Amino acid sequence: MGRWEYFLKRVLLMVPIVFLGTTVTFLILRVGPIDPAAAIIGPSGDTEAYAAIRDSLGLDQPLWIQYAEFMRDLLTLQLGESWVVVRGQSVWELVGVYGPRTLWLGFWSILIPIFVGLPLGFYAGLNPNTLADYIASFGGIVWRAMPNFWLAVIFVSVLTQSDALFGFSWGDWLVETQIVTPPDLSGLWEPTQFLGALKAILPAALVLGSASMGNEMRIGRTAVLETKNANYVEMAKAKGVPGRLVVWKHMFRNALIPLVPVITGEAFLLLGGSVLVETVFAINGLGYLFFQATINGDVPLVGSLMFLFILLSVGINILQDFLYTVIDPRVGYDGGA
Amino acid sequence: MSRHARDDNVPLNADATSSRDLALEVENLRTVFHTEHEQIHAVDGISFNIRRGETVGLVGESGSGKSVTARSILGLIESPGEIDPASAIRFEGDNITEYTESEYESIRGDGIAMVFQDPLSTLNPVYTVGNQIKEALSLHQDLRGTAATERAIELLEEVGIPDAARRVTEYPHQFSGGMRQRAVIAMALACAPEVLICDEPTTALDVTIQAQIIDLLMDIQAERDLSILFITHDMGVIAEVADRVNVMYAGEIVESAPVEPLFAEPKHPYTRGLLRSIPSTQTSGDRLETIKGEVPTPNEPASSCRFAPRCPKSFEECSEVAPIPTAVGDDPDHDAACLLYPESMTTDEAVAHHRPADDGGEQ
Repeated sequence: MGRWEYFLKRVLLMVPIVFLGTTVTFLILRVGPIDPAAAIIGPSGDTEAYAAIRDSLGLDQPLWIQYAEFMRDLLTLQLGESWVVVRGQSVWELVGVYGPRTLWLGFWSILIPIFVGLPLGFYAGLNPNTLADYIASFGGIVWRAMPNFWLAVIFVSVLTQSDALFGFSWGDWLVETQIVTPPDLSGLWEPTQFLGALKAILPAALVLGSASMGNEMRIGRTAVLETKNANYVEMAKAKGVPGRLVVWKHMFRNALIPLVPVITGEAFLLLGGSVLVETVFAINGLGYLFFQATINGDVPLVGSLMFLFILLSVGINILQDFLYTVIDPRVGYDGGA
Repeated sequence: MSRHARDDNVPLNADATSSRDLALEVENLRTVFHTEHEQIHAVDGISFNIRRGETVGLVGESGSGKSVTARSILGLIESPGEIDPASAIRFEGDNITEYTESEYESIRGDGIAMVFQDPLSTLNPVYTVGNQIKEALSLHQDLRGTAATERAIELLEEVGIPDAARRVTEYPHQFSGGMRQRAVIAMALACAPEVLICDEPTTALDVTIQAQIIDLLMDIQAERDLSILFITHDMGVIAEVADRVNVMYAGEIVESAPVEPLFAEPKHPYTRGLLRSIPSTQTSGDRLETIKGEVPTPNEPASSCRFAPRCPKSFEECSEVAPIPTAVGDDPDHDAACLLYPESMTTDEAVAHHRPADDGGEQ
């Protein structure tokens, strides 16, 4: 089986997964304790109005018909309207407003660890048991150990009082930004706007990416240490490959293999992990929207967002398989010679 | 600085073989590994040389220091290991132990190349075999692009890989073990070396493939006038390939001789033991003879014969005097480091001969 055949097979496997995930979502929403009609009408509603709403929403129909409609709508990407949180607003519009903030946050919280954690880890692995290695490793453990919600609160309180604490105002530095507010994502192609949006998201992205940074540092270090002692590295040296080329060509690509699932695993931060951080920094993103929809029993909004989350996680999985396929030629190889 | 500094392989025929005929000369090589508790003298003052076009064998059990010797020659010893500054490895007129890392890089590959023990792990799994051969070609032959690909295919054909044009684009995991070792040899040849170090090149392969690889190496040597240092623990392989043999034990060379006298009249009790433990040389008896015990870890400078605890012929002085290489037998190249020799002396005289100079025992 070729590498790309294997990749195609992995992609096809995702179809039943999307189907299964959506079905489970439906079951939890409809068979579970949430009563959407009661959620819409609120605690004061009378029985007649309640019955009318049930009727108009089609909640009296047999479950399998509801299921078929639910699946049909989602798979044709008709995500419907919110019933409770912003009544009557289409889900697509809501995603259009809340989504970019989460994507912006997620993007930086993945990128920062890759560009800080990985190089630090690789450096530590190339220079093991030196002072720099100890500092990096210790830092990695500290970053890894600080919980998101706690770190977020500390960041917010330090940054809002940075003027009093350090005589340096974070809010006024470079571009004027608020600390606890959704970032302004309009006009990102303009340097000042971009800088402002980046600066506004930076503390939250650092907090969200802190654990990943520690993870990637530590696993990057181990991966480099492992390939450093590999026989093919010694072979490369023995045939006269210069030291720098040995590191870049022969070590790093092999060291990346165990890091692929770590990095894509961090990408799931886009989903669940961001709710807490979004709440603390008041970045009204998808996590916040999902949380609101859930506690308010906004069934179509929850269902549609879940569907998008499922698509996203499946997409990340496909990306992971793609990276594997590109980096490691042994992927999809099932023995024999 | 040490008695072992005396090179015992060369002097007797120094006139016959001028140093220009020597491809590689190792003199009093000591490689020490510093650990927290002790120093491991993995290679402890060995001397040998390789003449041009010759195959020199280095035999010994696991842990006797063979591979460390190979890596010392190529400058691949890393901290906590260290080559003693008094050691000398002469290649093309230079003492390469004094080389910096970048000077070493210039002789690795096109000066001295190496074939490693385990072909399954010496090829980088994420690059094609062709890519790795072409890397060597671009480093040492200045060949790139199509010319390099063509040369890589030629080399693969030369080492007996069928359908080389297709194989060159395949990854190591698509090769069988024997094929991989051929590919590794092709890679070493791509460097066009003067000296080829083969570190147990056949140990990880099954017997029929072993024979093929050895034949291949011998053919290549004849074609290219290569000098080969062949490291193995297999006396059978050594008998087949080597012109001269050095037997290593616990970091020291205990016996060195041309291959015929070594097999016909082994002098050192250790060599005798090794030869007796080859299955095919034993015609009688129902159990294979073995040398009992295992190689000790040389964690202090030699002050006695390191083989004495396992030696069937050891006597009291063996634990007090470290033997030095001494001419034995009829062949001028035949040396053994054992208190039993020289045979012409009585035991007391022989022991005195081996005793350090300040004890008055040196010749």
